[in-house]
Amino acid sequence: MTTATAADPTVIDPADIDPAVLRDDLDAYARALRAWLASEPVLDQWRGRHYPNTEERIADHGRFMGVLFRAGWNRYGWPESAGGLGGDERHRAIFYDALSAAGLPIPAPHLMLETLGPPVVHFAPELATAYLPAYLRGDEWWGQGFSEPEAGSDLASLRCRARREGDTYVLSGSKLWTSHGATSSRLVCLVRTGTPESRHRGLSMIMLDADTPGVTIRPIALASGENELAEVFFDDAVVPATNLVGDEGKGWAVAMYLLQWERAMYAWICAADALRRLRDLRGQVATRLAAGARLPDGSAARLGAVYEQIIALRSRSAATVRRLAAGDTVGPEASVDKVLLATVEISLFDLARDLLGAEFVLGATDEVAAWRNEWWFSRSATILGGSAEVQRTIIADHVLGLPKEAK
Amino acid sequence: MTSPATITAAPTAGASPAPAGLDDATAELLAGSLREVLAEGGDLTAALAELGWADVLADDPARATTLLFTEHGRALAHSRVLDDVLLAELAPALPAATAARALLYPLHSDHPADPRGPLTGLLLGPLDGITEVVVPTVLDTGATADEPDATGLAGLAGGVTLRILPAELVAAAAQPVRGFDTAAGWLTVSAAPVGPAGPATPAGDAWTRAVAAGRRALAAEITGGCEAALAIAVAHTSARVQYGRSIATFQAVRHRLAEAHVAVESLRSELTVAWGSAGHADGGAWAARLVKLRAGYAQAEVMRHAVQVCGAMGLSLESELHRFVARTAALDLLLGDHRALAEQLGTELLGGAELEPVVAI
Ligand SMILES: Cc1cc2nc3c(=O)[nH]c(=O)nc-3n(C[C@H](O)[C@H](O)[C@H](O)COP(=O)(O)OP(=O)(O)OC[C@H]3O[C@@H](n4cnc5c(N)ncnc54)[C@H](O)[C@@H]3O)c2cc1C
Repeated sequence: MTTATAADPTVIDPADIDPAVLRDDLDAYARALRAWLASEPVLDQWRGRHYPNTEERIADHGRFMGVLFRAGWNRYGWPESAGGLGGDERHRAIFYDALSAAGLPIPAPHLMLETLGPPVVHFAPELATAYLPAYLRGDEWWGQGFSEPEAGSDLASLRCRARREGDTYVLSGSKLWTSHGATSSRLVCLVRTGTPESRHRGLSMIMLDADTPGVTIRPIALASGENELAEVFFDDAVVPATNLVGDEGKGWAVAMYLLQWERAMYAWICAADALRRLRDLRGQVATRLAAGARLPDGSAARLGAVYEQIIALRSRSAATVRRLAAGDTVGPEASVDKVLLATVEISLFDLARDLLGAEFVLGATDEVAAWRNEWWFSRSATILGGSAEVQRTIIADHVLGLPKEAK
Repeated sequence: MTSPATITAAPTAGASPAPAGLDDATAELLAGSLREVLAEGGDLTAALAELGWADVLADDPARATTLLFTEHGRALAHSRVLDDVLLAELAPALPAATAARALLYPLHSDHPADPRGPLTGLLLGPLDGITEVVVPTVLDTGATADEPDATGLAGLAGGVTLRILPAELVAAAAQPVRGFDTAAGWLTVSAAPVGPAGPATPAGDAWTRAVAAGRRALAAEITGGCEAALAIAVAHTSARVQYGRSIATFQAVRHRLAEAHVAVESLRSELTVAWGSAGHADGGAWAARLVKLRAGYAQAEVMRHAVQVCGAMGLSLESELHRFVARTAALDLLLGDHRALAEQLGTELLGGAELEPVVAI
């Protein structure tokens, strides 16, 4: 087997690459990946592609993951025991960045993979060995069941119960706003195993198959009309106790562990994708300008500002990703990354909306429809995974050390 | 006073080799010495020489510069240390200095004055003890073709040339700034006659590098000012009681302070990134402009929140806060304020400039 001579862009048959080299040498990984992305013709089908609905998009992104998996690229950064090729978060960050730079989307299932993969690998290595390889291949993806009808920002008030019966848990209750929930093969849920009043002390994390008897899933559309979310009902669904992720009663700790990736990797992914979309927007605006269109006053300054915000987010986020890779615990300061990413999302898609003007409201092309869908989705940046207000409160409490909020 | 020997980065004992540059402990020690020096006031250049600053700077330019200018901003100091940063970059393009030099800063962003008109600009302080003033100039493009070439600069249109003017000449046209921040000690120069001046030397990309270095230093100085203002606001709102509780327990107040913190942290991260390209041929101009832009936003945001949460105190002379508001606004203006930089950047991007990712893992 030859080693990666990634400096030569003609030598990019992934089969020729020794994974140990790319695992141990980030630069070699980045070079080889970029060369492959620039030269592999099969990838063109995922450039500038539009889908009739989100179900087809996620399924096709699954196929895209299969291509990336067979070439090895999305396996770096994940342990070999879970279907990966070794390496750390920096490989994954380089992977997302390189896709965006090559004009390719980041496959949608990777978003939840970044949130759910690390805690499953850490707290339930057998489950990771059993199921993560299929996830990396794009054959399945998972949903995150945290929020409930009555538990949003106040997650610790959740009520979905898991009752221990022999070697199983019996789940009853429901989950709401589960991303990719309607197409997921598996769900990772935070459930109550303690008393109803036990707050965060009585929670456990458990993985279950979406087709477990007693589980019903109802798709929920965002205002764009896209079924991005789902509501999940549990009617005495029986789950093996071996599916616990972490110990019984330790669900909150698992959730806090998970948040490190949910905030840090999501921020990096958003920044990578935002730069690609800003590039798209600039191109579309240039075409319109060439056709004699006029931009609203202040457009140039706003474009400059959004670009700089993306770079600020990347600056912060790269440092956080490196800390995760070094094994540091990323605590409440990750809320800074989350606030910055929300700022980028909101201002980028507001800019797109304003620059496209009447076209945004009236236009029927796939391109404009995509901007509208993403505009709606961008509004979630200040809501999901801890709202803008919750993040500010975390910073006030745990970073600035201000006296606690008045009750 | 700490002796120079104790503050240069010493190799750490133990198995792993010391990383190049300043380690955390040394940096902390240095920050303490700088705070002392800046609190004493007096001649900063002399005090830095006594600290052995040149060695520290040579050892770790990024960390040393950031440390010095952050403390400078925090202490509301006024000095010529920024001149040193820019003049060091301009030196290769200038005749060797035989006497003390100062720099005339463009009034508008990084765009120097046209040498055919009377010169305008900013000085960081009075010219006592200064013999020469280095003046960047640029012939405005477009005007050259049909105008007589009185300055002998034909062919240099659009490129920056450096001129060295006698200090007396510039001093005669200088007025202390009576604007927003009177404490900075700056002077505005209006209508300084250009001639009789020495020959103009083309700056090549030395001016670009000088501006980039200046912007990184200013971003650090604004960081220091923002940190100090935020600390004032945190202390004030934690101590001040209304409705029977400290006002920092009100969410509206807490969230403003959190936003100010995010602004400062993002500035700090981007400054680290900007130093990563400082060694490039253009001095890392692209990233330096971005971080100056971020610094401008950060000071606007931090000061807006800090003033609001301090109530009447925040806009009175009873508190120190107003001094940081005025100083960081002045620093924002120097080498490009955030509005101008955003406009310039956006115009370039619309014109097809590459959307550089700037940051790599
Ligand atoms: C696109 C999208 C995808 C999602 N994906 C998932 C998923 O995969 N899995 C999952 O479990 N959940 C998911 N969620 C749910 C998400 O985590 C919740 O929406 C979020 O936690 C907020 O809860 P809520 O919507 O009930 O809002 P609420 O908690 O009702 O909050 C409403 C408003 O009140 C404010 N508020 C609440 N409490 C406070 C307070 N203490 N101080 C100040 N303001 C406050 C909030 O900031 C917000 O502005 C998703 C949501 C969206 C929009």
